[in-house]
Amino acid sequence: MKNLAVPHLRLVLLAAALLAYPLVFSSAFYRDVGVTFLLAAISASAWNIVGGYAGQVSVGHSMFFGLGAYTPLLFYTLFGWSPIAGIPVGIVLSVVLAVVIGMPTFRLTGHYFSMATIAVAELIRIFVGTWDFVGAAIGLQGPAVARGWWDLTFRSELPYYYVFLAVLAVVLVTTAIVESRRFGFYLRAIKASERAARSLGVPVRQTKLKALALSAAFTSVAGSLYACKTGFIDPDSGFGILVSVQMVIVAALGGAGMLFGPLLGAAILIPLQTATNTWFGGGGSGLTYILYGGIIVLIARFEPGGLFELWHRIWPQRRSRAHAA
Amino acid sequence: MLLEAINVSKAFGSFLAVSGADLSVAEHEIIGLIGPNGAGKSTFFNCLAGDTLPTTGRIVFDGNDVTRASPEAHARAGIGRTFQVPATFEDMTVLENVMVGAYLRHPHRNDARDHARRIVELTGLRPDQPGRSLGTPGRKRLGIARVLATEPRLLLLDESLAGLTPTELQEAIALVRRVHETGVTIVIVEHIMEVIMTLTKRVLVFNQGHVIASGTPEAVVKDEAVIEAYLGRAHRRPAPERTP
Repeated sequence: MKNLAVPHLRLVLLAAALLAYPLVFSSAFYRDVGVTFLLAAISASAWNIVGGYAGQVSVGHSMFFGLGAYTPLLFYTLFGWSPIAGIPVGIVLSVVLAVVIGMPTFRLTGHYFSMATIAVAELIRIFVGTWDFVGAAIGLQGPAVARGWWDLTFRSELPYYYVFLAVLAVVLVTTAIVESRRFGFYLRAIKASERAARSLGVPVRQTKLKALALSAAFTSVAGSLYACKTGFIDPDSGFGILVSVQMVIVAALGGAGMLFGPLLGAAILIPLQTATNTWFGGGGSGLTYILYGGIIVLIARFEPGGLFELWHRIWPQRRSRAHAA
Repeated sequence: MLLEAINVSKAFGSFLAVSGADLSVAEHEIIGLIGPNGAGKSTFFNCLAGDTLPTTGRIVFDGNDVTRASPEAHARAGIGRTFQVPATFEDMTVLENVMVGAYLRHPHRNDARDHARRIVELTGLRPDQPGRSLGTPGRKRLGIARVLATEPRLLLLDESLAGLTPTELQEAIALVRRVHETGVTIVIVEHIMEVIMTLTKRVLVFNQGHVIASGTPEAVVKDEAVIEAYLGRAHRRPAPERTP
């Protein structure tokens, strides 16, 4: 009983801290940091399903994020509908795109899959940037003033925070369910050795495709939330490579293939990113790239499993030393 | 016959790794495949397991043609295999590793876990031990346990007993015997002659892509062609002198 109680207690404390954050840190700045943190955690958790658990490192997830971001604002621009109406369409389009891309690219393994995803995402970005129907390089705008709650446009950061938190909870609960079922076991087996997984009857391509589709759906929702909050989207903020890279780094920093890895990664990276942007202002915009590059080098060199793995390695040693004492 | 390989050949470019190999395996048999390094036995083995597509020939399992079937389809049909270098799922525990195999026939978590526990018990492993902490003997055992969890009718063991100490080897031989007693047919590729002599009733000897001998282990070790393949022409027994 004690073993089960400890993780549950940690979970309750984590939930309480997340719920209380915007009430304790009530200034607009800190709430905005909180919303940005949640958005990064949602996107990275979505990426984690295919990149972390299945080990299929997509560096082109911005294609799903961008689709999810564009459809709500496109529906608003074209028909004056609430951006919410575009969210399910974004999900469907992202899942279709995931299947179309996954079918040929999952024949590729390792770096080849990553390179293929970058190429497709960049092609879409360039295409969207020249397509007048979706605003070309200028992009699209959402409602400046909310007509009602259904426009998902709020003056305060507080409603955004709780909407984003609810979505994060859905993503994490879904991932936890996936992790404990056959699907999750198959994903982890594929990550460890595709050949061995195949020999045990694991339908590898089908499983990877399902993971990519699920991941694309959640990434699309993250894109929609981003567009609703900022009220604006352009090719770079939707489909840019930095969007994809951020998902990968956030998940890898905390621990790819671990449920709370992306949450930890976002909790470290977003405040750090905000701090560099605040200290150096517009002149420090390139610092984000330097920060990302530095983190990639550090993770790859010292802790490829991320900080959670480091914790799992250190904690049992400390505990056994404490018991021995 | 449970498994029949008919005139199987595999070419890599102009190199013929396996040339017209035939094999028939009856239900409940244990058959050994031996041969010097590079003889083509592993390539033939991979053809049987669905990992390599034969260039020509047919492979029939339980009356169904599985020549072009994927490794997944082989597993579903009831052909299980292990690997020379055990591909352990490092981030999983022993039980979780075995559950991956168990899920093939038991889609529900509790059923898969119960089945995996029984298999882990049979192989004498500790269910909660992390995969990454296992040594070579443990990894070999886990490889066998994982494939057993798929409930195969035919088990293909690819040098699963190599690299073990004499004591570990005896334990592993006992394990293979226990598996065989449960009704599983076994084809075993092995370099260790002790394993072949102890476990098998029939042996196929490969050399340079061809099957050069087959028969009981006692007969093949005395076969001239086998001795020559392993030791070279100089070690052939001199032919008996003819008396005028």
